[in-house]
Amino acid sequence: MAQAQIHKFNIRFLPDDITVSVSEGVTILEAALAAGVNINTRCGGVGTCGSCRVWLKEGKVRSKHSARIKEADFKRGLRLACQSHAVSDVTVEIPVVKANSTAASRSLSSGRRETSILAEGWAFKPMAEKIYLEIQPPTLEDNQADIGRLRRSLKQRGIENLAIGHDTLKRLPAVLRESSWNVTATILAEEPSDILVLLESGDTSGNHYGIAVDIGTTAVRAQLLDLTTGTTIAENTAYNRQADYGEDVISRIAYSRRKLGMEKLQQAINETLNYLIDEMVSHSKVDKAGISHMVIAANTVMIQLLLGINPESLRLSPYVPAIDILPQLKARTLGIDLPEHVYAYIVPSVASYVGGDIVSGITGSGIYQRDNISLYIDIGTNGEIVAGNKDWLVTAACSAGPTFEGGGIKFGMLAASGAIEGFELEAAGGTPEIKVIGDTAPAGICGSGIINTVATLLRIGVLGQNGKFIPESGCHRIRQGADGLEYLLADASLSEHGQDIVLTEMDIDNFIRSKAAIFAGCQTLIESVGVNLEDIDDVIIAGTFGSRIDIENSITIGLLPDLARERFYFIGNGSLIGARLTCLSQDLYRDGLKVSEMMTNIELSENNTFTSNYIASLFMPHTDHHKFPSVEIGR
Amino acid sequence: MAFEVPKINYSGAIKEIRLGKKEPPIMVGGETCYPFHLFEGSMPNLPRIAMEVYDSMPDNWPEAAVEPFKDVMGDPVKWARKCVTEFGAQIICLQMASTDPNGLNRGADEAAETARQVTEAVDVPVIVWGTANQEKDTEVLRKIAEVCQGKQLIIGPLEEGNYKKIAASAIGYRHMVIASSPIDINLAKQLNILLTNMDVPENEILIDPTVSSIGYGIEYCYSVMERIRMAALTQQDEKLQMPIICNVAKETWKAKEVKISSREAPELGDEKKRGILLEAMSATVLLLAGGDVVIMRHPEAIRLVEEIIGELAG
Repeated sequence: MAQAQIHKFNIRFLPDDITVSVSEGVTILEAALAAGVNINTRCGGVGTCGSCRVWLKEGKVRSKHSARIKEADFKRGLRLACQSHAVSDVTVEIPVVKANSTAASRSLSSGRRETSILAEGWAFKPMAEKIYLEIQPPTLEDNQADIGRLRRSLKQRGIENLAIGHDTLKRLPAVLRESSWNVTATILAEEPSDILVLLESGDTSGNHYGIAVDIGTTAVRAQLLDLTTGTTIAENTAYNRQADYGEDVISRIAYSRRKLGMEKLQQAINETLNYLIDEMVSHSKVDKAGISHMVIAANTVMIQLLLGINPESLRLSPYVPAIDILPQLKARTLGIDLPEHVYAYIVPSVASYVGGDIVSGITGSGIYQRDNISLYIDIGTNGEIVAGNKDWLVTAACSAGPTFEGGGIKFGMLAASGAIEGFELEAAGGTPEIKVIGDTAPAGICGSGIINTVATLLRIGVLGQNGKFIPESGCHRIRQGADGLEYLLADASLSEHGQDIVLTEMDIDNFIRSKAAIFAGCQTLIESVGVNLEDIDDVIIAGTFGSRIDIENSITIGLLPDLARERFYFIGNGSLIGARLTCLSQDLYRDGLKVSEMMTNIELSENNTFTSNYIASLFMPHTDHHKFPSVEIGR
Repeated sequence: MAFEVPKINYSGAIKEIRLGKKEPPIMVGGETCYPFHLFEGSMPNLPRIAMEVYDSMPDNWPEAAVEPFKDVMGDPVKWARKCVTEFGAQIICLQMASTDPNGLNRGADEAAETARQVTEAVDVPVIVWGTANQEKDTEVLRKIAEVCQGKQLIIGPLEEGNYKKIAASAIGYRHMVIASSPIDINLAKQLNILLTNMDVPENEILIDPTVSSIGYGIEYCYSVMERIRMAALTQQDEKLQMPIICNVAKETWKAKEVKISSREAPELGDEKKRGILLEAMSATVLLLAGGDVVIMRHPEAIRLVEEIIGELAG
């Protein structure tokens, strides 16, 4: 009997105008991923988030109905890409708002502010060192073995107890002889013994580079370091291509359990890393063979996905990661396209949701060196908080949700060109003055823009402390929308996509939940060690989102504790800073190991005090106004 | 050295509120100590009991609850008069059960007329309690507020989802409000803040923390009420210093243990006593947690609770 023929259909994606041929039954979303077309998805393609909307322009698709799409819109051709497959050649259009909010072509802005609250007292002595050696050639009288001669030379430079890999051994005699016994050894600091990772002919010590990477759930940031001088010679950022398979860590974990899911996720992060490295190398015209080392800081899920380790246990009680301190691994075995001899150091993790990114940030910011009590907050989808000083460190993670990065917000987007960030309004009846990143037409609003908008509306009485609009305030920009009341941020005639840009009550609800999780997390963590929020000496705000926020407005809405403003510091991407410094200093590498062991993790997810603090924080600035003495609202 | 009884140092007091217009005034609240901790402070007004009156013929009531009201059920005016004259009710709570959209779904005008007649028939303060259907309550309670202008009713429940419009009417027509939140100290406080932000005076608000019968999670209610009192009295939390009202009778009398007959469940004992005792015991628990007004049904249960209050205060 003849096999049923499998049909193939062409799917054309607008506005990019990319066409891909797929087999019958392949969803539009899968087709888009294959074609490299960005379609937003937060749920990993199971039809629950409703963000992968496309308009059917031509052809026929078969779709499951979704509660996320109104009947009228369905009739007009709106579909969820993950719930639809083609039954003819089709053309679909990705709504421009969503296309923009994830388009990798848009540049991510890096933090605007960095302060000098960094680790101190460390020596510049990279984890990987290149040492030029002039070895005495053997003679009949001095006939010690090649390796012995090498060891002897290294000992004279203070280096002993080296581990030497098989690769290096195999090439040892040839390299020594072809170089007339003048070689450069690359030594990598490692516990319990250092490793000789490379032996090169002649003096290559000037050709010596390192790579520091922060793998974020949303964005990956990398720096190319000159290990002879410690300077950063190139820097680059890209969206984590894993985002195509789910926006947050939980949906990534879920995706990794699918058939070939882990392989696809690993491939995606490898592509992202390789793209970043190649861009930096070609931009700076560095010899890629001169790269000697790589340091990676990331959250536990990103690390386990990079390593191909099943991350399931991270999200299930009792929330235990598979790994903490790891031996250094060859970058190439992780799928990273770097020379054979390059090892990657992965900054150790502490707990399920307290990963190497945080250890790296604490190391880089030097909290563990000072008497002062610091509160380190990395605000993001997963908010990580550390408090402590040179004697103790406690840490907690709280799930804040994606709103700070624009997720769960009707017109939310990352802080990229087109995002409304500044918002000023004097009185309820006025027209706001908005500031858009890149000075272009607005396309949406980013997390810092929401903070500024909500704080302003709260201050002038357009928004209540419970996050509900007050139409009686005389604000004519409040109106009834599809999801309840909404505030008109920008009129359709001014926006990039010709739609009104609004902030809805539902958006604000989601946002308040995020800010409450962060504040309640800080409060619970600090109070769990018998310290009060007022006793904090320094507040260090980390993360790309964090570096954009306005402190005054963040306190007004109750995201950050009401402390003297000069106690706040912005460190930018603490994880990347820590990775860079670790790459540059063996002292900090060892301090990082110590820091990871010093941190005590407090699990908030099953903590009654946290729940109570969280509900008290679901109010602006807070149910207990004594906690916000400088905020006038509601007095 | 002489032994000294350890005492709690209170820094706050519950607001003293006058209910209705009756002379001499019916006052509630004013405590400067935990419930009945009279060795530490004072309770200038002992807790009050409000007697339930239903705006329509109740169905599914156990025989024990029907018996005292058999002759007046279905006529809220007579029912209210009977409570005051025969049972000595100090406060009436008119339950607007007939407005429930899942039941008779009576309109706001009709409900308001009933409320007007009842308030005119008695001289004690009247509480008007809706069905906790937020939309319908908004409509009904606003109308009642308007029609009963100047009667100084106590109206509720006002919840986070509908407080604004009802509170606006209450301010406009000079009534007090009951701020209702689902068993959580923070939510209770948030609603009080929102109400005071709207310029509802702090001494015209009663807190309904949401209560239940014994056997149906009363421990949670107890803890939350206790925490509200601790915040009010020891942490000077002025947004929680309002008297607490507990709408407990309808919770106890719908319990399975009250409704089931002695024939079906002989191990539960006498049907009549069961309901009365469950009501009296539940109310007592709530008074010990900090209740200032308890809404009760059965005259015998009320007598028992009054006796306990007298003994505790004696």
